[in-house]
Amino acid sequence: MKKEHSQNGITLEAPLEESSGKYPRHIQVVMKGNYAAAEAARLCRAGFIPAYPITPQTTIVERLSELVTEGKLDATYINMDSEHSVFAAAMGAAIGGERVFTATAGQGLFYAHEVLQAIAHFRLPMVVCNVGRPSIPWNIWSDQSDSLSQRDTGWIQFYGESSQEVLDTIIQAYVLAERVNIPAMVVLDAFYQSHTSENVWIPDQNLVDRFLPPIQPGEMAIDVLQPKSFGGLIPPEHYNRLNYNYWKAMNQAEAMAEEIATDFGAHFGRPYGNVEAVNIGPETRLVLVTISSITSTVRGVIRDYPEVGLLKLRLFKPFPKEAVKRALAPLSKNAVIAIVERNFLGDNEGAIMQEMKRALYGSDLRMYDFYAGVGGKDVPPVTIEKIIHRAFHQPEEVNWIDVG
Amino acid sequence: MKPANEFLIKDEKVYSGALSCRGCGWSLLARHLASILGEDTVYVAPASCFSIISGPYPLRELKANLVHTVFAAAPATATGVRAALDRQGKEDTTVAILAGDGGTFDIGLQALSGAAARNENILYIVNNNGAYMNTGIQTSTATPYGAVTTTNPGGGFKRAWPKDLMGIIAAHNLPYAATASLAFLEDLRRKAEKAKKTQGFRLLMIDGPCPPGHKTDPAESIHIARLAVETRLFPLFELEGQHYTINYRPEKYIPVEECMKYQGRFKQLFKPENRHMIEDVQAHTDQYWMRLEALAGM
Repeated sequence: MKKEHSQNGITLEAPLEESSGKYPRHIQVVMKGNYAAAEAARLCRAGFIPAYPITPQTTIVERLSELVTEGKLDATYINMDSEHSVFAAAMGAAIGGERVFTATAGQGLFYAHEVLQAIAHFRLPMVVCNVGRPSIPWNIWSDQSDSLSQRDTGWIQFYGESSQEVLDTIIQAYVLAERVNIPAMVVLDAFYQSHTSENVWIPDQNLVDRFLPPIQPGEMAIDVLQPKSFGGLIPPEHYNRLNYNYWKAMNQAEAMAEEIATDFGAHFGRPYGNVEAVNIGPETRLVLVTISSITSTVRGVIRDYPEVGLLKLRLFKPFPKEAVKRALAPLSKNAVIAIVERNFLGDNEGAIMQEMKRALYGSDLRMYDFYAGVGGKDVPPVTIEKIIHRAFHQPEEVNWIDVG
Repeated sequence: MKPANEFLIKDEKVYSGALSCRGCGWSLLARHLASILGEDTVYVAPASCFSIISGPYPLRELKANLVHTVFAAAPATATGVRAALDRQGKEDTTVAILAGDGGTFDIGLQALSGAAARNENILYIVNNNGAYMNTGIQTSTATPYGAVTTTNPGGGFKRAWPKDLMGIIAAHNLPYAATASLAFLEDLRRKAEKAKKTQGFRLLMIDGPCPPGHKTDPAESIHIARLAVETRLFPLFELEGQHYTINYRPEKYIPVEECMKYQGRFKQLFKPENRHMIEDVQAHTDQYWMRLEALAGM
């Protein structure tokens, strides 16, 4: 069966020699995912960067410090005393009307939880990178429990499959965040992405400048001539109305993200969508649902399984219900959905299964959940093959693969 | 020092109708500070009584911007605000934090220390009323030894000494820090003016009258604040780097109980079996004063 790649990015199938000259007004560089994130912050002209180190995010803030020192990024860079303070400072600078960038991981994101809520409910646009890792017992390896557990803080969330996608998504996330006044988080995998070198196409600055104009301070920005009180005690009826407005903006975010991703393709030559469907058609018997770098492994495996397709989620919050429904629409009634979870949120089902059930409520499609790779446990092709076999042969509703 | 009067404020920078309790220090403090700091100021307030006093949405007490922020992180939020203003060429706009003792001595201490150690160009004002008054009088690490709060299991009043915030602040080598009292308004205003002009991280700690929390007569707030200074319970001093200056030396030695007896929160210390605790407070107060004198003489 012919595979359809509705979205590209730098895929495993793209040989490097064919790539040279592929994107005009770009340079091709081999770099680690964390450096790609820092490059994106530079290209987006982040003006304020509060920083606090945490493995495996550290090289992002180290690189940003270098970029500021080298004069390649005109930003105010401040070493804070904790992630809680990092996000509180980010909030202050965003209320001051600046474009803010920072990065964190695991415990740092958990520690900032209170401030994530405040930033979102202040309706402050900013972009933050999270390099996913779980909590105690100490574990620094790839896992999305940190960011997925923050899905209800009101932030937009994207998950990047490759370093290229992380860089490109940060640019798109700023456009989206500043359009809807909602902060956005771009998540990459610990080590598999953060510390792994890949080819990355870096666009020219003026290409980015045309796509992402300077930030326009909105209603929630300090104006000394028109003083306001920000965030004071608010009566229930007004609080309710603010949340109604927030809900309306969040409801627009899915379609807007899709539109921005399409525009990005026109500007930069690399189109994206909220989801990516590979080999999903009437003959497909099984669809694996993934986020982040496990997607690349699945791409490789399903070449040998013509009856298996892939649904990659790039946007996770707001959950792209429409895109998911559209992507799965060609499936026959007997097709099966298998979800690969690299997170554990203390419930029976993983985070992605919960959202997929919500999106496909009323559908006849059978859905099975597969915990694989929690705490950074490797998910090699053979693990994906096990998931495929189990999904075809009497799976439980929720399964753990390769528990040692 | 001459008694101060209302004419100290020539140009009012607050609207009428602050939501403070009768005899509260916050509204008087805000009036004086605002008249000195002016409208070109961005205030940052963590959770505290002032979160309420400054007015619920859509009202506003201060004639300036006020950013309310999370309890633990006013100095961090102010750091971000400062950076944004500086990037926009508004270096002359003052960024001032208005915090209580809970947000300063306890939950906000880390962020305070961080901003102080970075010498951020921020003015930090702490209204120290010695407990979590907004939530209804719970013990903070600023609560005085022997004071009653609603959270003192096993005895009903506090049996530990309050944290020496000014000592902690001194360890940060700040350009300017001072204590001030609403009973010594000219001194307070001079310090606020000096703090406004100084670059870098500055901190003013004000003794905060709180009739419901201290169990005092609202009409006595200023009288008691004056006695706190006269008895040396709340010494007035300034710090520039490691250099201490005592601003007011009481002419007479007045025992601490002369101030404590007006405050219902210390009532139990006046029972015969607890009198020794007043002596403890006296000894602690004398020691602190001697230490201050020694530091000021260096």
